[in-house]
Amino acid sequence: MIESFAHLEKLAGGRDLADVFLESDEQEHAVPGDQILEALRRRRAVMRDCVERGKGGGTSMGKLVGNEGKLLNDAFLAGKTFMDPLTVKAEIYALSVMGENSRMGVIVAAPTAGAGGVVPGMLLALEEERHIDPERTVRALVVAGGVGSIIALSANISGAAGGCQNEVGVASAMGAAAVAYMMGGSTRQSIHAAAIALKNTLGLVCDPVGGLVEVPCVKRNALFAVHGLTAAQLALAGVESVIPMDEIVEAMVRIGRALPRGLRETAEGGLATTLTGCTIGDRLKNEANERRAERAAERERAAQERKESVSS
Amino acid sequence: MAIRHDRKVSILDVMGPVMVGPSSSHTAGTARLGRVAREILDEDPVAVHFYLHPPLGATYRGHGSDFALVGGSIGLSVDDPRIPEAIRIAEQMDVDITFSEEDLGDVHPNTVRIEIRGKTREAEISGSSIGGGVIEVFKINGFQTRFKGDSPTLLLFYRDRPGMISEVTKIIAEEGINIASLSCSRKQRGKDAFMQIDVDSPMSEAALQRIRAMPDVEEAKYLDRIP
Repeated sequence: MIESFAHLEKLAGGRDLADVFLESDEQEHAVPGDQILEALRRRRAVMRDCVERGKGGGTSMGKLVGNEGKLLNDAFLAGKTFMDPLTVKAEIYALSVMGENSRMGVIVAAPTAGAGGVVPGMLLALEEERHIDPERTVRALVVAGGVGSIIALSANISGAAGGCQNEVGVASAMGAAAVAYMMGGSTRQSIHAAAIALKNTLGLVCDPVGGLVEVPCVKRNALFAVHGLTAAQLALAGVESVIPMDEIVEAMVRIGRALPRGLRETAEGGLATTLTGCTIGDRLKNEANERRAERAAERERAAQERKESVSS
Repeated sequence: MAIRHDRKVSILDVMGPVMVGPSSSHTAGTARLGRVAREILDEDPVAVHFYLHPPLGATYRGHGSDFALVGGSIGLSVDDPRIPEAIRIAEQMDVDITFSEEDLGDVHPNTVRIEIRGKTREAEISGSSIGGGVIEVFKINGFQTRFKGDSPTLLLFYRDRPGMISEVTKIIAEEGINIASLSCSRKQRGKDAFMQIDVDSPMSEAALQRIRAMPDVEEAKYLDRIP
């Protein structure tokens, strides 16, 4: 078993990082490497579909978001964006995935649904802009998953456990390592890309308005997709994290424990308890209660009808 | 007693699952918990009662956990696009659904106890959705355990007596199947007992029949990976 990032670096030597992860997973879970690759090919396709659907826009369950990917895509196609195409596409794709997620569409949790736009945003944009073979993207998903699985040895990957650093932070670290891999970086560079990304998300809280995966989650995915690309860029140029990745993960766990409960997905702090956040939260609660009352009335009516049809 | 080596989360667990949004712990994980209850009941449910630990009770509706829990309990998978319609489907199937809050003690925030009843049987599980769609069921029909649904698993309900473990493991060994982990618990010596055996590869019906035919075995349930 790969026990830590230090162990990973030693174990990998000069070998292909995806192969190292595939071998380790095969030993541990008795799932052959080609099956893992096949599953990830399908997941890449789901991500692609999800991006395409998401670009069309729509409304989220809580009606707070849903059109962000479409707006940016329209601006991009009209030549009205000022950033470079790779960055803009990473943002469009991350927003599109999160739009679909907010409508209960089919997505790939990477590593979670709430952070599910970061990895596809980074990887699919890079694949397209740099004309990378999709098969390399699939192997980069192995690297992303492998990095996440080492983090998951010591940390629960959920906002409830440690705030958004445990979700979007981890996703940007996974994506950064994968991008470094796709660009031909070394294992050491992938690990440092992950370290630089994760380190700079520490302390990020999970304070969703109304408890929904909508605000700030959707836009945050776009911003942290770019964050991950930046981290990979630094690492590929030889910039290294002074604090080793394993120690950053430890720090993340400690910070997560120190976070008050109100900032761990409970919607009882931060943005959720701003004036606007509370107003939206109250509206959502009222709407949910109304829906519940409607359903109960409907059930009552159906039961009454059944009774009448039996007695007649 | 327990023989376990804790396993690392797999690559496919991290880069997945493919699921209906919006939250892996509130939608995918809860759907899987519902599905575990349905698989253990092993027949169509007539009534399902979900007891939500208060933090989950506070957040479940906005994340569609109610659709997901119900969807899982009527047999839908986490990537089934019908999950948003699950409550309506359950009503059409005449399943009586109840949600309430219950303090489940010192457990993960996203924890639920599920009582599920069919025409001839009933089952009860308690479990947590710990993030990314990963679950940990820690109680099955009153027995302490740790079930993650990530490998084929044999659940054995039996009367406690010496030799039980060796007889069961002998049958599994003769099938050429490797045991990943095994744990037992019992309510009292010589009384109701429970064994959970996670295996590396699927078990044949013939092996299950042999295990079911063993003296003092009340019930042997075989669960595949919970999708």
